[in-house]
Amino acid sequence: MAGEINRREFLKTLSVGSGAFLLGATGLIPISESLLKTDEAFAAQVGTFPREETLIARILTGRVGTPDNFNQWVGWKWQDRGIQNLADEPLWSVDFVTGEIINGVASGDPTYNADFTTLTVPLREGVAWSDGEPFTAADVVYTVETLMQYSGFNAHSFFVDNVESVTALDDYTVEFVLTQPNSRFHTTFLDRWGCTRIFPKHIFEQQEDPTLFTFNPYVGCGPYQLHSFDPQGSWTAWEKRADWDKSPTGIMYGEPQPRYIIFQYFADEGAQILAQLTHQLDVVELSADGLKALLAQADTSRAYQPTFPFVVNNDPAITGIVYNTSRPPFDNVDVRWALTLAIEIVEYTSIAVDSSGTLSPVHIPHLGPYPELYIGPMQEWLREFTIDIGNGETFAPYDPDAARRVAEYARSRGYAFPDDDDFILRTFGYGWYKYAPDIAERLLVNNGFARGADNMWLLPDGTPWRISYMTGTVLSNHDARNAVAAVQQWRKFGIDATVFNTENGADLGSVGDFDVETVWPGREPWGAGPDLYRVLDDWNSAYIRPVGERAQSSYHSRWSTPTMDDVIRRLRETDPFDTDQVVSIGIEGLQEAVRQMPSTPTYGYIGFVGWDETYWTNWPGSENPYCVPYTHWPNFKYMTPFLRPAGEA
Amino acid sequence: MNFLKRYLLPRMISYFLVIWLGITVVFFIPRLTPNDPVIRMIDQMRARGSTLEPGAMDDIMADLTRMYGLEGSWIEQYGDMWGRLIRGDFGVSFFQFPTPVSQLIGNALPWTLGLLLSTTAITWIFGNILGGIAGYYTRKRWSRVLDTVAMVIRPLPYYIFAFTLLLLFAYLVRWFPITGGASLGALPSFTWEYIMDVLWHSFLPALSLIVLGGVVVFQTMKLLVQNVNAESFVQYAKLGGVTEDRIVGKYIIRNAMLPQITGLALSFGQIFSGALITEIVFGYPGLGMLLYRAILNGDYNLIMGITILSIVGITTAILVVDLTYPLLDPRIRYV
Repeated sequence: MAGEINRREFLKTLSVGSGAFLLGATGLIPISESLLKTDEAFAAQVGTFPREETLIARILTGRVGTPDNFNQWVGWKWQDRGIQNLADEPLWSVDFVTGEIINGVASGDPTYNADFTTLTVPLREGVAWSDGEPFTAADVVYTVETLMQYSGFNAHSFFVDNVESVTALDDYTVEFVLTQPNSRFHTTFLDRWGCTRIFPKHIFEQQEDPTLFTFNPYVGCGPYQLHSFDPQGSWTAWEKRADWDKSPTGIMYGEPQPRYIIFQYFADEGAQILAQLTHQLDVVELSADGLKALLAQADTSRAYQPTFPFVVNNDPAITGIVYNTSRPPFDNVDVRWALTLAIEIVEYTSIAVDSSGTLSPVHIPHLGPYPELYIGPMQEWLREFTIDIGNGETFAPYDPDAARRVAEYARSRGYAFPDDDDFILRTFGYGWYKYAPDIAERLLVNNGFARGADNMWLLPDGTPWRISYMTGTVLSNHDARNAVAAVQQWRKFGIDATVFNTENGADLGSVGDFDVETVWPGREPWGAGPDLYRVLDDWNSAYIRPVGERAQSSYHSRWSTPTMDDVIRRLRETDPFDTDQVVSIGIEGLQEAVRQMPSTPTYGYIGFVGWDETYWTNWPGSENPYCVPYTHWPNFKYMTPFLRPAGEA
Repeated sequence: MNFLKRYLLPRMISYFLVIWLGITVVFFIPRLTPNDPVIRMIDQMRARGSTLEPGAMDDIMADLTRMYGLEGSWIEQYGDMWGRLIRGDFGVSFFQFPTPVSQLIGNALPWTLGLLLSTTAITWIFGNILGGIAGYYTRKRWSRVLDTVAMVIRPLPYYIFAFTLLLLFAYLVRWFPITGGASLGALPSFTWEYIMDVLWHSFLPALSLIVLGGVVVFQTMKLLVQNVNAESFVQYAKLGGVTEDRIVGKYIIRNAMLPQITGLALSFGQIFSGALITEIVFGYPGLGMLLYRAILNGDYNLIMGITILSIVGITTAILVVDLTYPLLDPRIRYV
């Protein structure tokens, strides 16, 4: 019938039209410029802020649940919305790019006595709180004494357990007398994405119960002060202090450049990308695919690295696979090594992170000072290291060419990047372990495992070997990326492995109710400082609890050995500032972890950061890594004096 | 009197029983999961750098358990909970300690109500009007066009549809903002500028809900009208010379509306659960994300606070519909 609607034609037209519009939006076909509004409309103003004087970054930890409460000493207060990264100055911070310690309101390293029962902390002179009051030793003393007085403070137990007394020797010197020897006591004040911070005595002493105090507006020693916040927690705005030169940041590095800095909440990655494409968001953190999409679309955005792999590959954390060593068969070191040798790392990193990960064969990441202090010097030992494969035979599992193999594979897939050894080493690491399924098979057979009729592995009791790999539900996170890659490799080897996604990984892990989990095979060091005490102490046998009870450490492997305990004890008795001695003992600890492989380290944590250069330039990219590249890290304040308004160029 | 004894009283008893049962279930279910709020907070603090010595973990757990009011048996906690509820106190949020649950809900609720009450009403009104007309004039060309459009839109996943709106109207033609409930720097006030700013930010979230929700109402109503239209009494009315306006208004729409009214009441009741995906895509404030985060973190008090609103909302809506049905449908009598 004439004029009758033909559904097929209608659908076809609608599909083609919608598809064209979507493709246009993603840049695959050109969209008429007339459809796009000019950027000028957005250029002058963002909300009520002058755009050219404002830097906008995303809040990493999501919508702020307590927007009007800044009392970060009680519970969790979304510190990365500008509290730790703009408004606060800790005693010390660590720069994971270099491993250097940065003095904040302290003026130098702490000094311990011989048996580590007292320490003296020198404080920086000329620092003022953002309300103009001078910062002195009285603030430090008052903070510690108050934390000890009220059990509602997060750090209450720590200080009660460790501090006998705290005294101001003068306005700029504090002495702590400890209840027991503790050579790492000062690290509670060392900011590596959180630490014990100092609060202003003149404000807190006026509160009846400081644990219930909302501390609004926040007063800190950082270069920025609170400007305003959304009562719904969508954004928090900070303004440069008029007396920025009274903050340690200003004293050390000069005047911060952005007048306003806003931390804004984005729940959806797509919205984040659109916001940066329209220059309404200067800093984004995305998934691997999100960063690819952004870089493909934006003329003004850049990544941390100018070439492949583009990503931030110097985060101070190592990712990998964690075995529950309290549950058979993962209590058997041969099984753990068999699972490691069943992994072809080239395929693994391709599946997990598109070959962009930096490998590490030991339980610390390949970044900052670690290649020079640990991973490099351990190469000879790693090459000579062997495992017993039965019948008096041994096998050397280390493959010093693994990183180069990953690089060659990435190049074969069309990625372009420099071919020099320095770049390969810096980007892909030194080496990893061989792909040796024959050796893995032998280790399993030696321990009573066998292949079934379907060629799948059976446990020594003849039942099918099933591995449940527990991980989170956000598939772009590195725990899930490791899980998917490991499960694929183990299935290829003949193990019935599956991924178990759960929101309750933290709880199940802490009571030991899992086979294999992820993401941290070793605890994050103190921001890549040379001292590995924080990494190794989580393997302290004192913290192990039977399955069903909650583990005392954050490490869920429930593994330790007398050798590791001895390493931890000796490290504890060593001056943390004696780098040679600390490194020497630390290497022993890493060697023991490799021998026993309670967890398999794979690649360093990767961040997918995008910076818009429309309003701000001189970001700390890989060609000029003057600072930690993340805006959510406490060190962001140290980046602000080096940023340049784009108009200045 | 008969109505009171035979219907209202038992109905009110069942109303309060359902609320009691719902609250009781919501009290126990989160506690039966392996999601421990104390462990969640410790993990959060650990992950965020707070100094929590492994050796002091037992002390820290005891402190948090005491602060959260989780000491004692579940039965004791259950009794405490009713004691607080009767005083109108939902307690404090664990994850957002020590913020009272009522404050968190009070902050989020106006946004959820503002968005979902209006979109539910608009969706229902326009969906029913269009569906009713399209169902009666089912052979008209425009009716078929509307039907086709509805069939194309309805299966679209909400996220894809919402993000497409964002792509089109916030990126390609930059008529609307990408995220948030109001502009950066805009603080709540009863000013024309702020109200317009909020409406501007609400437009795309509302549009996404109205369009996807509207086609469902449209299709349901269209089918209902088509079915009623085929009933014998309508045919008799037509043959008997009753005017078309009267047939549509009094015979068809009135009968077709009954299930739609029940659906509306349920939709209003469900508002208190929020619109999670809308809040995620558009960065819009509301109860959805608050509840989601509460569930993830085992924030018992906050889960309880939000779900009580939902339980009371839905049961009350159903009660109201039940009681008002005789006014809408003359065939129903409570005698």
